This record gives sequence, structure tokens and C-alpha cells, in this order.
Amino acid sequence: MRKLREMLHKELPLLMSLPAFLWEFYFLIIPIVVIAAYSLLVPGVKDGIALTTEHYLNLFSTSYAVIIFNSSLLALVTAVLTLIIAYPVAYYLAVRAKRFKNTLLVFLILPSWTSFIVQVYSWFYLLQKKGLISTVLYRIGLSGEYVSLLNGLGASTLGMVYCYLPFMVLPIFTVLDRMDNRLLEASADLGASWWQTMKHIVVPLSLSGVKIGLLLVMIPAFGEFAIPDLMGGVKRTYVGSVVMEKFMMYRSWHSGAAMVMVSIFIPLLIIALFSIARWWWELSSRGDA
Amino acid sequence: MNLYRSHIGRVITPIIVSLTYIFLYLPIVVLVVFSFNDGNFAQGWQGFSLRWYASMIDSPEILSALKASLIVATSSTVLSLIFGTAAVVATRWLRSRVYLSVFYANVLIPDLVLAIGTLCLFSTLGIPLGYKSLITGHTVVGLGFVIPMVAARFNQIDPLLTEASFDLGATQWQTVWHVIVPLLMPALIASSLLVFTLSLDDFIISFFCSGTQIETLSVYVYDQIKNMIDPRINALSTCLLLASSVSVMTLSYFKILDQVVHHE
Repeated sequence: MRKLREMLHKELPLLMSLPAFLWEFYFLIIPIVVIAAYSLLVPGVKDGIALTTEHYLNLFSTSYAVIIFNSSLLALVTAVLTLIIAYPVAYYLAVRAKRFKNTLLVFLILPSWTSFIVQVYSWFYLLQKKGLISTVLYRIGLSGEYVSLLNGLGASTLGMVYCYLPFMVLPIFTVLDRMDNRLLEASADLGASWWQTMKHIVVPLSLSGVKIGLLLVMIPAFGEFAIPDLMGGVKRTYVGSVVMEKFMMYRSWHSGAAMVMVSIFIPLLIIALFSIARWWWELSSRGDA
Repeated sequence: MNLYRSHIGRVITPIIVSLTYIFLYLPIVVLVVFSFNDGNFAQGWQGFSLRWYASMIDSPEILSALKASLIVATSSTVLSLIFGTAAVVATRWLRSRVYLSVFYANVLIPDLVLAIGTLCLFSTLGIPLGYKSLITGHTVVGLGFVIPMVAARFNQIDPLLTEASFDLGATQWQTVWHVIVPLLMPALIASSLLVFTLSLDDFIISFFCSGTQIETLSVYVYDQIKNMIDPRINALSTCLLLASSVSVMTLSYFKILDQVVHHE
């Protein structure tokens, strides 16, 4: 009995950590393996297993290449636009906001704590035909008739930027918030201009945050289907919408699984390219100094 | 020249920040205002009324979607909180925290991949989709938030406190319950609020893994707004916005928002 208790005592940490790790294994790792398996198997083979790369090779056909291009473009445009808006906001919150920092932070996060479906829906009132914006345009005579602004690339991009903005601001804010403000004072004391301070101190220090922000925005943006589906009409197809159709409507899971695998790798590829660009930028700016 | 450039930074940044906040809140304000409209979208503003809230409460579909969402959110929050906290406490005793970084993957993996994976797993095993698949998927995401947040707090605990507890004759369990858990409380509250909110708001996992029997709130909203503007959805959205405001404000009040922000 005593031996049993001793054993239990010794093994207790292991037992306690077991559920979380088992959960991770069975419901995260195994599912990804299952997707990979689907993407490599020939459909409908009952006896034995037949491997094929057909589903991946199909992705190189023109129709799929266009879809992958659309999604890459959407992810890239969303990432660039959110970065342009997010950077000054993060900088202001971290360095200049002082007393209002927490309040501004709360109000930045608040919309993203609601379902993004609700966030997208909130734009309907502004963008629809006879919505607020088209009414204003009509009344002041800028457009001859009521137009719906809810279709096309512009509206999808708007929805994407709106929903993903906080995910770009937060990591940059986190990094800049930890930055020692005395660095800025020292730089100013030494006669550096605002631009020089930004280029040589703030931007290099914030790059790790920018990278996390790009990850957090680009990976989900590449597979996004609900936002372009709701806001952009059906004019363009994206990887996410093809995956959705393949799994929910046509039940062609094998080629759908191949697309899901691609949606993991392509954003990582784009981010790798960014890292190379950053490395190159660092090299060249070192050359400057 | 220096002066001129520094003025650009000083003046333009606040303008960009204000415009960003207007951009963030303009659609939300319009949505909330029109939830109190005594008429539908095509009629324009017809005066104040609570009729859409009344018809929302009368709608059996909305109530059953709410029930499904609450069941999934509560179960996945409880599961990820218990499993996550146990794992953090245990790995500390094992003197190895490296293994915990595995759980960062849960946050970084796109929801779409997790959703399709869960869908494939359940159908390969022949288990019908429903509460089981939703709760497993949401718990995976939940662990990805609970474990880093609780571990960060755990690392701040002064080891002298647990040593003192052992010196005073407390057993391991007593130390866990009376020393460690109370000290972890802010992280436990923060992460459970976050996981609950994320689960309630989740669309992608819910969309792929809910099967034909149940529908969660966000999937219901998606199906409704695909067709047209429905003021009942405005009322429902306003309630969801209110719920997430309460949860963000609570975190901010207890000064634990920082932890969430630094891990999101």
C-alpha cells in the first residue's frame, strides 16, 4: 500500500500533465496527419492503400493557380494595409498615449472580441444599396443612383483590414511598449532627427513584433472564406471558399485536403520571403551607418 | 528641417489614430442604433423601439443556437482550464518547461486547418459531428491560450512561498490548493474569460464541425445575413457586443488585460 502511494506520488506530475498532452496528440497532431493522408490517397480504394500526388499536381492547373494567386494577393494586401494603419497606432499607444494607454487599448481590442461575423455584418448598413454611404453619395450628387458597395475586391479588403487590424497592432504594441523610452530621449539629445530615430531605433526594435503581426494576419487571411464570401459577392474565388465547397458541398475531400495543406505552406513561404527582405534591408542599412 | 519633420510625426500620428478609432467604431455604432429602430432596413429610421429584441427572444432558432453556443463554450473553457493548469503545475515539478511550448502551435495553426482536421478525424472514425467535435476543437484552441498565460504567471511565483509551505508541513496537494492556485487566480480568470469569449465567437470550427443537428450562434448569424439584413440580428449582435464588452472591461478592471494582450 505504501509502495503504491509512493509510486503515485512520484508519478503524479506525469499523470497530471497527461490529459493536456494526450488532447494535443489526438485532436491536433492526428487530425493534421489525417488531412495529410487524405491529400495523398487515391479516393475510393477499398482494399489496401494507394498513394498519389495527383491532388497536388492538379493544383498547378490554371484554374487553381488563379485561386491561389487570389488568396495570396488578398493576404498580402491585407497584411500591408493593416501594417500601414497599425504601425502608427501601436507607436502612439506604446510611446505617446501615456495616461490613456489602457483605455485606448481596451477600445482597440473590444471589436475583435466579438465574432468577426458580427463585425462584417456591421458594415452592411454602411455599404449596402441605400445604405448610409450610398445615400450620402446620392444626396450630395456624387453618384446618379443608389449603388451597392458590397461587391468586389474593395469591400472584401475593407472587411479583412477591419477584422485583422488588432492582430497587427497588438504584437507591435507589445514590443514597442517594452522599449526603453530613454532610448528615444538619448537619440534626440544626440541630435538625431525624428526620421533618424525612427529608422535606427524604433523600427529595428519593432521588427520582431511586425513579424509576429504578419504571421497572425497572413496565415488566417490566406485561408479566409467568410469575409470575402459575405462582402465580396461571388466574383472571385479564394482558397478558403474552394476548401469550403469541396468539404461541405461536393464532398471531394481528397483534393480539398491538398488545398488545406497548401494553405499552411504558402503563407509560410511568403513570410520566409519577408524575412529575406528584412535581412537584406538590415544589411543595406548597416552599410549606411 | 529637423523641427519640420518632428512636427509631421507629432501631428500626423494622432490624426491617424483618431481616424482608426472612427473606422473601428462607426459601423458598430450604426449597427447598435439600428437595433433599436422601429422598422426594417428599407424603411429607414422609424423611431425608438425594442421590438427586435422581443422578437429575438421569441425566436426558437436563436434560443437553441444560444444554448448550443453556451454548452460548447462552457465545456471547452472548463476542459482547457483544468487540463492546461494541471499540465503547467506538473511540468514545473518535472523541472522541464520546454514541452509546454508545443502548445503555441494551437494558436498559430489556422482555424481552417484545425476545423478540417477535426472534421476528417471524426468522419474517418465514424463519429457523428456535433457537440463532441465542437468541444474537442475549441478545447485545442483553448489550451493554446490557457497554457502560455498560466505558465507566465506560474513563473512569477516566488519559489520561497512553496518552499515555506512545504517547510510548514503542507503536503503537495495542500500546497497546490492553498498556495499555488490562489496565486494563479488572475491568470486563471483571464484565460478562462478569453477562452469562453473565443469559443462563443468562433465561426470557422463551428461552421465545419457542428454537423446537421446543432447550430451555434455565429453559424446562425452567418446563415441569416447571407440572405439579407435582419434587424433581429442587430439585436442579437448588440447583445454579443455587450457580452464581450463586459468581459474586456472585467479584465481591464482587474488589470489583467496586459497578460492577455501580451499573449494574443
